[in-house]
Amino acid sequence: PRSPQAAEVRVRPVPFNAAFVSRLVPRLRWDALREAAESLGRPSELPPEPSPGYEADEEFLRRLHHVLLEVEVLEGSLQCPDSGRRFPISRGVPNLLLSEDEA
Amino acid sequence: RSVGAVALPGQPGMAEAEAAGDAGLGPAAAQDGAELAAVIGATVPTGFEQTAAEEVREKLGSASRISKDRGKIYFEVPARSLPQVHRLRSVDNLFVVVQEFKDYQFKENKEDALKDLEDLVKKLPWTDPLKVWELNNSLKKKKTKRKKHNLQSPASRGKLSDGGEEGGADQNNTNDQEDCAQNPVAVEPTGGQDKENPQGVTSRNGVEEEEEDNEQSEVKAEVQASSESGSKADEAQTGEGEAKVLRFRVTCNRAGDKHSFTSNEAARDFGGAVQEHFQWKADMTHFDVEVLLNIHSNEVVVGIALTEESLHRRNITHFGPTTLRSTLAYGMLRLCDPQPTDIIVDPMCGTGAIPIEGAAEWPCCYHIAGDNNPQAVKRAANNISSLLRKNESKDSSTALGVPLDVIQWDICRLPLRTGSVDIVVTDMPFGKRIGSKKKNWDLYPACLMEMGRICTPGTGRAVLLTQDKKCFAKALSRVGHIWRRAQTVWVNVGGLHAAVYLLRRTSEPAQDTRPFW
Repeated sequence: PRSPQAAEVRVRPVPFNAAFVSRLVPRLRWDALREAAESLGRPSELPPEPSPGYEADEEFLRRLHHVLLEVEVLEGSLQCPDSGRRFPISRGVPNLLLSEDEA
Repeated sequence: RSVGAVALPGQPGMAEAEAAGDAGLGPAAAQDGAELAAVIGATVPTGFEQTAAEEVREKLGSASRISKDRGKIYFEVPARSLPQVHRLRSVDNLFVVVQEFKDYQFKENKEDALKDLEDLVKKLPWTDPLKVWELNNSLKKKKTKRKKHNLQSPASRGKLSDGGEEGGADQNNTNDQEDCAQNPVAVEPTGGQDKENPQGVTSRNGVEEEEEDNEQSEVKAEVQASSESGSKADEAQTGEGEAKVLRFRVTCNRAGDKHSFTSNEAARDFGGAVQEHFQWKADMTHFDVEVLLNIHSNEVVVGIALTEESLHRRNITHFGPTTLRSTLAYGMLRLCDPQPTDIIVDPMCGTGAIPIEGAAEWPCCYHIAGDNNPQAVKRAANNISSLLRKNESKDSSTALGVPLDVIQWDICRLPLRTGSVDIVVTDMPFGKRIGSKKKNWDLYPACLMEMGRICTPGTGRAVLLTQDKKCFAKALSRVGHIWRRAQTVWVNVGGLHAAVYLLRRTSEPAQDTRPFW
């Protein structure tokens, strides 16, 4: 599920670790992440694609770090792109349980 | 980190109260502090002695001996390293060794055997271990001041009044301490608490446990000059400052079948001799010094306790019915050898003991905790908030975040991409306190399949704790194409015999049957 919609967002500082963030990059579905950042009002923070040499680009890594680790959705929802089903986020915790008939 | 032990005696504000007692000894201890060495005994979750020894080697640079008396390791450190010793995460309780006898010959006759033990007291080298005990007390005083300071905060109040079932659960968990199985007097928590509240302020046992957690966790923080918090009244109350007669008790643990006496008898007689020798006052519930007499067949160890409460529940303020000991959680995590940037998931996190321990000790990994139960999720989130509050720096109003997320999900339908997770670590339902054995028959294979799906082929691993070993073995045999058993550790959880399985993910890719994630 993606497309987070947020009624309440909190930004909380997290110590920056370049190696950690850099290693996450290949594991991310970039377009999904960008879309998420966009729907939270932060479209300009991430480039369309991670450019070659991103490992050494501290500014890029810091922006990614910010979006990934420091922005929290406290109240809102996530939406499944296929089914359109919305999953609520309450007090920072997303509820991704499916109901019986959905499974 | 500053050298805590040496810095302490010079604290302004503590000087007067410590006049006769500690300060008299304080500076001397400080000078000795550098040279004074301590042989420390630590109780650890049975099965994880090796893990604990590795942690000691890593953090203190000392080699450990693993005792035949299961669940105990011994190592030597300079006394000034005590603060670091208290920060060990695989250790439940600590004591300073007075003397060890590897092959003690007990007389066959009960009276003779007991007389020998009595005679032993005056021959033991008490001086240095008692210095270590005193040093340890000054560390605890720092904690007390901090704790009293923190208790004023609304956050703590809120937790304590959250009460209801949490309070009830605490009662159960207090009884789970299996350390002193043979000691008839198992009233450890109140013993410690009274030290800080000598006016006889009694609290509910459950509440104490939570307070102790706050206190224990303070050990992890810097032992700083805390002259700004606390009051001289605190110092006067604890009374070490005045030339006061110490109160003590003897706790005896005895195992082996060739002894002619019981642990009660040994404790009683040994205690009598201790009282005679030191002119201390015997007191089972309100004691300053806890003398330990550990007898395991022919191995006898005499020690002095350095911890009152087990450190094992340090991270958890909101208990659930089956909350895992933090020390056990730590041992499990160490077993899977987390590497920086690993993604670690606990898909049945309960109150979050494992991921919280993980995030605290392995902050270079990303931790995800999930459960289907809304109560569990709420408690886990609350425990994380508590952890964040402890981490709060004095300058900023928002606490630094930790690399940990909580999600409510279904273990059989995890909203995680195939092969995206490095480590799965969890405490599987035992079918006794949660769920049922019948449910396990269906749940276990489904879990293993789903965990196998999300785990990275080849490099992924899982560490799973369960008491339902038969069910687990059967489930495992059905998923041999994705999981290989690498190691098994036999453990004891709340009196139940359980096992921790380390599994390695085979290279075989998982079938991705999840269209919607």
